[in-house]
Amino acid sequence: MKDFLWNNDDNQENNITETLEMELLLEGLYRISGFDFRKYMRSSIHRRVHNRMQLEQISTITGVLEKVLHEPAFMTTLLNDFSINVTEMFRNPEFFSAFRQKVIPELRELPEIRIWHAGCATGEEVYSMAILMEEEGLSHKTKFYATDMNEPVLNKARSGILPLSKMRTYTKNYMAAGGTQAFSEYYTTDGHFAYLKPSLLKQISFLQHNLVTDHSFNEFHVILCRNVLIYFTAALQNQVHELFYDSLSPNGFLGLGDKESIQFADCADKYTDFAEQVKIYQKNKSRKKG
Amino acid sequence: MNNFRFGIRQKIITGYIVIIICLIAAILAVTNQLDTMKGERNFIIQHDFAVRDLTSQIEKDLLKMETNKRAYIITGDESYLQLYNEASSQWSKDYNTLNQLLSDNPSQQKRIAEINENIQNWVAVAGDPPIQMKQQNDTAGIADFFKQDPGKSQTEKVLQQFDSFRDTEKSLTQKRAENLNVQNRYLEIGLFSLLAFVILVSMALAWVISGSIIKTIKEVVGTIRAMTTGGNLSSRIHVRSNDEIRDLGEATNELLSSFEERDWLQRSVTDVVSKNQGVSSLETLAEIFLSATARITESSYGAFYIKEGKDENVRFVKKGAFADTAADVGRASFKLGQGLIGQCALEKRVQVIDRIEGEYSLISSGLGETKPNSILIAPIVHEDEIVAVIELASLSSYSKQHISFIEKVLETFGLTINRVIDRMEIARLLSESQAMTEELQAQSEELQTQSEELQMQSEELQMINEQLESRSQDAEEKSKALEIAKKELEDKAKQLETGSKYKSEFLANMSHELRTPLNSILILSEMLAENGNQSLSDEELEFAKVIHSSGQDLLNLINDILDLSKVEAGKLEIMLSEVNLSEFPNNLERNFTHIADQKNLNFTINMAPDVPTLLQTDEKRFQQIIKNLLSNAFKFTEKGSVSVSVKKVQTDVIYNGVDYWLEVAIKDTGIGIPKEKHELIFQAFQQGDGATIRKFGGTGLGLSISSEFAKLLGGRLQLQSEEGKGSTFKLLIPSISDESVSAQTFLGASAEVATALEQASHSVAVAEPPITAKIVPAEPEAEQPSITVDEENVFYGKTVLITDDDNRNIFALKTALEQKGMNILIANNGMECLDILDANKKIDLILMDIMMPEMDGYETMQRIRGTGEHTDLPIIALTAKAMKNDREKCLEAGASDYISKPLKLEQLFSVMHVWMTK
Repeated sequence: MKDFLWNNDDNQENNITETLEMELLLEGLYRISGFDFRKYMRSSIHRRVHNRMQLEQISTITGVLEKVLHEPAFMTTLLNDFSINVTEMFRNPEFFSAFRQKVIPELRELPEIRIWHAGCATGEEVYSMAILMEEEGLSHKTKFYATDMNEPVLNKARSGILPLSKMRTYTKNYMAAGGTQAFSEYYTTDGHFAYLKPSLLKQISFLQHNLVTDHSFNEFHVILCRNVLIYFTAALQNQVHELFYDSLSPNGFLGLGDKESIQFADCADKYTDFAEQVKIYQKNKSRKKG
Repeated sequence: MNNFRFGIRQKIITGYIVIIICLIAAILAVTNQLDTMKGERNFIIQHDFAVRDLTSQIEKDLLKMETNKRAYIITGDESYLQLYNEASSQWSKDYNTLNQLLSDNPSQQKRIAEINENIQNWVAVAGDPPIQMKQQNDTAGIADFFKQDPGKSQTEKVLQQFDSFRDTEKSLTQKRAENLNVQNRYLEIGLFSLLAFVILVSMALAWVISGSIIKTIKEVVGTIRAMTTGGNLSSRIHVRSNDEIRDLGEATNELLSSFEERDWLQRSVTDVVSKNQGVSSLETLAEIFLSATARITESSYGAFYIKEGKDENVRFVKKGAFADTAADVGRASFKLGQGLIGQCALEKRVQVIDRIEGEYSLISSGLGETKPNSILIAPIVHEDEIVAVIELASLSSYSKQHISFIEKVLETFGLTINRVIDRMEIARLLSESQAMTEELQAQSEELQTQSEELQMQSEELQMINEQLESRSQDAEEKSKALEIAKKELEDKAKQLETGSKYKSEFLANMSHELRTPLNSILILSEMLAENGNQSLSDEELEFAKVIHSSGQDLLNLINDILDLSKVEAGKLEIMLSEVNLSEFPNNLERNFTHIADQKNLNFTINMAPDVPTLLQTDEKRFQQIIKNLLSNAFKFTEKGSVSVSVKKVQTDVIYNGVDYWLEVAIKDTGIGIPKEKHELIFQAFQQGDGATIRKFGGTGLGLSISSEFAKLLGGRLQLQSEEGKGSTFKLLIPSISDESVSAQTFLGASAEVATALEQASHSVAVAEPPITAKIVPAEPEAEQPSITVDEENVFYGKTVLITDDDNRNIFALKTALEQKGMNILIANNGMECLDILDANKKIDLILMDIMMPEMDGYETMQRIRGTGEHTDLPIIALTAKAMKNDREKCLEAGASDYISKPLKLEQLFSVMHVWMTK
């Protein structure tokens, strides 16, 4: 019993220390790299850091901080650890299907369409959207802005190179998303990789942009930010939502991940459920203040 | 309007009275007429009948007198006389009555006067005289009298007169009856016209009265309808008539006013209540409520207090304020019973204070400040408990309506406050749970990432496992066969060993046997060529030289064959020793300068400064390789230069004990070797081509021997060459510093190293020229492996089943795929496809045409998937230029992917890559 209590105290103390260490690490990382993870979900960051600690056999978070401050390569590694780049083409096909059926008719009359993929990771989603818009005959007036904070990941996205092994899944997704052509129209292959058609890539601007620290850079008709906000704390989510709201044109559309919702955000009442099933929201036309 | 009321009842009664009067008048007139007619009829009946009776009576009396006169005269009976007298008196009586009756008709009177006269005549002449005669018994007189009979003419005359009288009377009666008929007709006409008149009057009245009623009702209905549809409760009904409709209109107007009031109340309440909805904080609620309430009650300022704390510590804390100016209004908090407001909270009722005294807040405006005129304090109760209090102040005074609004709105507001408090609590809990949910989401996302990775890994592991399993099965099956084969092999090995021994011995003997006669030939021919005694002619001398050089060539050939056979038989031994490299350039110069001079070629030797002086290797073989290479270089170079450069190189291949590698590069500017021959020339008996052999001679064994030697030395021979520009042969051999390394170890290692080196240098020696190899597109990603792997590797040996009914398509596809090294199976229709699939288990992919006779592609695919056996077998549907419907049908039928015709080979291969890559 005594032991148990003692352990408990010890654990608590450890927790306090670790929280402090974590704050210092994130602060240090922010100061040295400009990447701000201070408002990210601690649980996720915690797991990432501990994963790295295990791999590098570092015993304390302070040890991680030390390496971050003194080894630029390690800092890059850690930053890459933090950015989770799980994505696939036509992920959640029903989203793209709904987009095609419901949102496209709303966009069709616009003289120019600007779509922002916030947190585009390796670009699979923006590729998918480029294909979709081409099939809808809107690609000539559509501009895609794909942003991520992670430059190496962006480089990968710019290359338009996809692992051959994923293409089967993507083909299935493409079909389920209501693709109107053969998926193979959009890529060529060799023995190892598939290469996205250059004409698709040409329409996409891949830009480095940090949702946490950077500001709005244009007005968009569609903003897609799927499965990005789940890594953020509620406060940061609200901040990013504010950014999205300011960047959306009147009646613009916001698409979130299938497990996300705008319901809990401060700006929830400024949007109308457009396709709640697949988390597409429409910005209300007039801004109601107060 | 005057006070004269002419109501609907009056209107209707008036109408009816008019009609009734008309009716009565009509009836009176008719009755009157009827009476007249009745009199006339009675006159006819009484007068005319009386006249007739009387005339008849007079006639009868006359006849009675005659009769009774005769009877008396005959019988003499006095009774007849009496009767006669009676009749005599009777008729004059009757005559008088008749005369009276005819007083209005003098002509008739005159007639009966004549009749009277005649009767009296009769009485006087024929009546009384015979009677007197009888009484006097004057029988003769009587007989005489009757003989004459004077009365008879009289009687007949009277009767005649009566007849004429009665005829006149009858015609008179008739006349009167006709007159009556005429009157009757007039009466009928009069009656009908009266009826028509009454109907007209009634209709006119009905029209006027109903018109006056309906018109007003219509006006009222119109107004009401306008209000209903227009929703404008403020408009009112105006009725011009002064009747019940006007009452109805006024009553309706009152109702409307009441409705308007209630509506205002309702709307105001709804307005406030609706604003309260969805509010999630007390402060916002208080602000919204106050501003709405103040606006409605025209208040200038207001304050909102919420109860906080419990029991003793109950305080009312200000949560919101409203003022026309931004000034902070009201106290921050108060206790129950404290001040007016506290009192109100205690009493739980609305209070309005109109006369403000003392130090009340001043309401400020832009121009100044003024005291409020009226103050309203209202408690907000929920479940019989005060939850909040509001205070409002106004410059005007609060109307009843305002107060009832406040009461009304506060009825439910307690509940709202409670709800907001609850909601705040819920929101707090929700955000907590949301935070947890999000954490869970993040975790699950991560888990998904991990699980995706794990899935792929496990997939790979599973595949490896499966392969291993099948391999171990294969192995088991084959191990028996292997054992048998092993025995056979062992036997054969023994035989071979023996054979090889024989072969080597044979070769050794042979070479010996060949050398012996060759020796003599060589020596003799050399001697002849020297022409010591000057006995030979120039021609003979030339012959001798040819014999010699041919013999020399033959010898070299034999040596080479021997060496080669030794290498192949593993008989060649390596003698490791320390070679002094410092002597190496001199040796070469000594041996080859003269050849260079002969062919007028530039010959240079470069030793890099870091090349060690001592090298552990088999000197003899090393020298032999260099010599071979140099000989070749000189042999195939007509002009230009031959150079040897020696340097140390680092390679990726690390082997225990090997410090570095020595590279000896021999470069010439000769004819070069075409790319496709690069590999060939290292094989025995091969040269550039037949023509080369003819031009340059040589056996072609030199390079293969050198290559074998290099391998024996643990090294490798490499070639870079371009036809027409020259060649560079590079010998790479390891330098072993550790002298303790035994020759055996070295040799064992050398094989391995050689293999590694071979792989490393493969691309240089065999594949593309180095320059092109480097032009692989600038790869953006470091992690991406170089794409030099041969494309065919993926397709090579794979089996593809083409199902198509068009032979030209089949031919085209077959040709294209076979070029990639694939095995092709052909099915001309769906049935064949199924059959082939049953018979062949090793089909990697199916290309399926859709439009086929008998069984089309959809059905075929459905059947293939239906068996459950080929769920993972990739089927690529070849559709006509993609119709949406086709694609969906393809997917439903189980196609893995589709491409549309006409096929583009690149796209086809792309898709096949996707579906054939494991």
